[in-house]
Amino acid sequence: MPYLGGEEALRELRRALSNPHVQADPVRYRAAVLRVIRLMAQGADVSGVFPEMVKAGAVPDVVQKKLVSLYVRAQAPRQPQLALLAVNSLRKDCAHPSPAVRGLALRTMCGLRMPGIQEYLQQPLVNGLRDKASYVRRAAVLGCAKMVKLQGDCEVDGALVNELYSLLRDQDPIVVVNCLRALEEILKKEGGVVINKPIAHHLLNRMPDLDQWGQSEVLTFLLRYKPRSEEELFDILNLLDGYLKSSSPSVVMAATKLFLVLAREYPDVQADVLVRVKGPLLSACTSESRELCFTALCHVRQILGSLPGHFSSHYKKFFCSYSEPHYIKCLKMEVLCELVNDENVQQVLEELKGYCTDVLVELAQGAIFAIGNIARTYTEQCVGILTELLGLQQEHITSAVVRAFRDLAWLCPQCTDAVCQALPGCEDTIQDSEGKQALIWLLGTHGEKVPNAPYVLEDFVENVKSEMFPAVKMELLTALLRLFLSRPAECQDMLGRLLYYCIEEEMDMAVRDRGLFYYRLLQAGVEEVKRVLCSPKSDPSLGLLGNQTKQPVNAWAWEFNTLIPVYGRERWALATAHQPVEPSYSGPPCTDSRSRDTESLISEGNKEVLKVQPSTGSLSLIPDASLTAEQFEKTWLSLDTSCHLSLPWCGPVPPDTIQTALHVVHIQTIAMSKAGAQPWKAYLSAQDDTGCIFLTELLLQAADSELQVSVKQSEAKPEALQSFISALRTVLEAVAGLGS
Amino acid sequence: MIGGLFIYNHKGEVLISRVYRDDIGNRRNAVDAFRVNVIHARQQVRSPVTNIARTSFFHVKRSNIWLAAVTKQNVNAAMVFEFLYKMCDVMTAYFGKISEENIKNNFVLIYELLDEILDFGYPQNSETGALKTFITQQGIKSQHQTKEEQSQITSQVTGQIGWRREGIKYRRNELFLDVLESVNLLMSPQGQVLSAHVSGRVVMKSYLSGMPECKFGMNDKIVIEKQGKGTADETGKSELGSGKQSIAIDDCTFHQCVRLSKFDSERSISFIPPDGEFELMRYRTTKDIILPFRVIPLVREVGRTKLEVKVVIKSNFKPSLLAQKIEVRIPTPLNTSGVQVICMKGKAKYKASENAIVWKIKRMAGMKESQISAEIELLPTNDKKKWARPPISMNFEVPFAPSGLKVRYLKVFEPKLNYSDHDVIKWVRYIGRSGIYETRC
Repeated sequence: MPYLGGEEALRELRRALSNPHVQADPVRYRAAVLRVIRLMAQGADVSGVFPEMVKAGAVPDVVQKKLVSLYVRAQAPRQPQLALLAVNSLRKDCAHPSPAVRGLALRTMCGLRMPGIQEYLQQPLVNGLRDKASYVRRAAVLGCAKMVKLQGDCEVDGALVNELYSLLRDQDPIVVVNCLRALEEILKKEGGVVINKPIAHHLLNRMPDLDQWGQSEVLTFLLRYKPRSEEELFDILNLLDGYLKSSSPSVVMAATKLFLVLAREYPDVQADVLVRVKGPLLSACTSESRELCFTALCHVRQILGSLPGHFSSHYKKFFCSYSEPHYIKCLKMEVLCELVNDENVQQVLEELKGYCTDVLVELAQGAIFAIGNIARTYTEQCVGILTELLGLQQEHITSAVVRAFRDLAWLCPQCTDAVCQALPGCEDTIQDSEGKQALIWLLGTHGEKVPNAPYVLEDFVENVKSEMFPAVKMELLTALLRLFLSRPAECQDMLGRLLYYCIEEEMDMAVRDRGLFYYRLLQAGVEEVKRVLCSPKSDPSLGLLGNQTKQPVNAWAWEFNTLIPVYGRERWALATAHQPVEPSYSGPPCTDSRSRDTESLISEGNKEVLKVQPSTGSLSLIPDASLTAEQFEKTWLSLDTSCHLSLPWCGPVPPDTIQTALHVVHIQTIAMSKAGAQPWKAYLSAQDDTGCIFLTELLLQAADSELQVSVKQSEAKPEALQSFISALRTVLEAVAGLGS
Repeated sequence: MIGGLFIYNHKGEVLISRVYRDDIGNRRNAVDAFRVNVIHARQQVRSPVTNIARTSFFHVKRSNIWLAAVTKQNVNAAMVFEFLYKMCDVMTAYFGKISEENIKNNFVLIYELLDEILDFGYPQNSETGALKTFITQQGIKSQHQTKEEQSQITSQVTGQIGWRREGIKYRRNELFLDVLESVNLLMSPQGQVLSAHVSGRVVMKSYLSGMPECKFGMNDKIVIEKQGKGTADETGKSELGSGKQSIAIDDCTFHQCVRLSKFDSERSISFIPPDGEFELMRYRTTKDIILPFRVIPLVREVGRTKLEVKVVIKSNFKPSLLAQKIEVRIPTPLNTSGVQVICMKGKAKYKASENAIVWKIKRMAGMKESQISAEIELLPTNDKKKWARPPISMNFEVPFAPSGLKVRYLKVFEPKLNYSDHDVIKWVRYIGRSGIYETRC
């Protein structure tokens, strides 16, 4: 980066640096070195003074040594030949009596990025590992990792690895943690550092000496350890108990994750842990450090995904304060939506209502959508509030309310009437595309309930020429045609006009095509139009599918305290797509086959891999192999039904009982209707140890006394299917037996 | 682990950049990506964690300086933020406020610090006290490290206690305890408390020789009740005497030096303190908070162009105590054209640039009342948007702890050196400040 014209200045500096008088005066000497660094920081090319700088590093002054080290590390890659000069003096420094100098020299040497440096590094590093000052050992341990990284693909030196393993017993806590970090990097290809029983116990004993960074990292490393027995597991949990209340939020989070993962077989323990970290998490959520508060809120949101009622009694903690940044307010609203229950719904709605008139458009709309979300459960109150908001006649508020109404009408058909009554008058205030689309959709679909629907749509038709958004025009076409079916007399004329405009004058191809399509459809007769257009007007089951995902804790335990809860799973997947999956300790998702591989690597002789054999001959289903709702939907649509059967059934279905019973045999429930819903539906998934997936739909029609079961299978394996069905049948019959 | 650390000024110019790992790629690209996407972004900051091209940027802001940590790995967000806070603390301890000027003047020191507290992207020793032995302050110090200093480093870094070095000597053994609390309130216009909590810190400054064992006691409800049970005869008395004065602590956390095992079993707080200033404990209470002030707002809209505001503040503590630096901020609508203020006490001014009436009172005793009334004239506007009425916020400082926390004792034992608890001079001070203290109107 040759700019800032440092030529002249540099020449002058070189003169100063090589001037014996300057060299004799430590203060002036250091000032000259400092000026070089300043120039470098400004982006000037200072490679010209390399030899002088190396020489300047050979003084007793530690500060100057540090400055030179900074310089050498930055310049070495460009001048490998000259850098060898520096290596020589650095090697000398490695034998300096002061530990600070020895450490610095080691760190500098490991930071030189130049080919062939390894051969000079090896000996000082080995000496450094055995140094009596821990400061040097710390630098040496990480130096090993740096060296291996520089080497690239070369074979890892077994002796070095052994040496590092033995340093895990070092006196100094930071050396211990650094060893873990270094081994992790060196052994990356083999799956990272191995935590066996003695190492795990040793680390547990050292925990109190470590600082917060060390504690947090050791807790993460311990995730890898699998206790041999229940007794040992609980011993470990008891020992680590105090860290759930540590003063450092990162330690609390790391400890929580470790507890959740270790206790994956014990839902009670997991629940207990989550209750106990409530306090620390809440205090992080209300802390003044906003970024931490943000992180904590993300994790609270994650927990609420599994335990909706968990923070309900503390709902007031999630009320927004005026001066908080926008990202915290948005998260808090999201959390508030999740923890609504019968007792606090009034207060929460009252509070959210306050945010709806916020100056920030985004926040106000967020609050309105939040109320819309709550409306799926507490319809009446929410619709009341939303209707009230329409009275303000604010553009962005009305638009958001109408959008919320559209979703509501689709998900909760019972509130359609109330929604339709509120609609008249909105059309004047709405300006944006999304809001207009929502309004037009509502008018088209539920037009028979809104007396002036045709006239509102007529306004839109009149102004269609000046309409900016093609999406609105398309929506208008569909809506008008639907309304035409229910109120032909009032719509015929304007439908004609609209079709004429769309076909003859419209420039947007998509709109024109749709116009043509409807025109031809109308030529085919009204019956045909009805067949094509009269799709259902609502789908309550969708609301259920969207809402139900009460994820098991185990589904996210591995993701806790990583970036995934912060970004959200979808965004994280997007951000890491096309990236080779690195076997990093914090990352691996809970794919079972993986964790099993690493386990067999780690602890030979430990063969208690959990294989629960449900009452199904050859089939063994994997616990915790859960699909997300999206995955399920995708797979379900892509497969054909392999088997269909009906089971005798009478009386209502107890969903909780079924879910628990199925869970015992490792069949996961993806979605399930509420008790007493008609028709009652449930979707199940399971996976066996060969990776074959079984998807099941249970359907109980109102009048039927039979439960319809359809099973789909990802690979055609008749025997496996037979055993799966027999297992399923056993469970269902058992539950039916309980019910009657 | 952290791949790199960047410090920017408010314009987005890089003041400090330190890259620890090669995986974050070209330094210049990473530096620019953050500037373009976050600092120069038009809209508000969307999140303190930003993902740009598969790289995560964690940032915190101190005044108008941006500090960003960069990584490619899936790291623990809480830890990265905590580290950034710690880094700010360390820098403040060395050169005071984090400002552009200070950073520019101390950039060599900062590079030196960054070298010590992170190695290869992993946090190393970050206790300010311990760091002072490695970082030779900017000055003329340490031409030759003396033998003593060398041995200090060795003993400091090998010793079991990372936060205190051995061989500290003071002629006068002295300690200062500050109970610093910030009281947060959100009150509805009707005077109903929507949420209130106190977050407090006990900060200790110790100048003690040797390796002193300290024991700290406060009026924690659990401890008081336990003691009450211990001496059965006194139960009646303690209920009358101190029972009322004990407080319930929602949760508390301690400095690393406190032995947690002892706290869990006996709820006693014992520790060997670091030398100098440190934060002994942090706590939070939500019950029985003494709210030092009540704000009673009254807003009346007289027609479309006039607004009458009356605000009464009442101080609610012992008459003998004095609150200081009281400031009440009454927001005004954006279309305000003129304001007339009358107040009995203090000074009030309409600040057009902040859209608020700021009322300042230097001092106010307990159990007093004061009021301000203002007439706000508005410009007529077409904007149908109703004024959002932001809450009235308040700032103050009071010389007591709003949570009711009291320090009962702090005992010092040093078995090896010959000074005892009585020889130590101890000072205790309580300061309650307002955090977010808002009343909706």
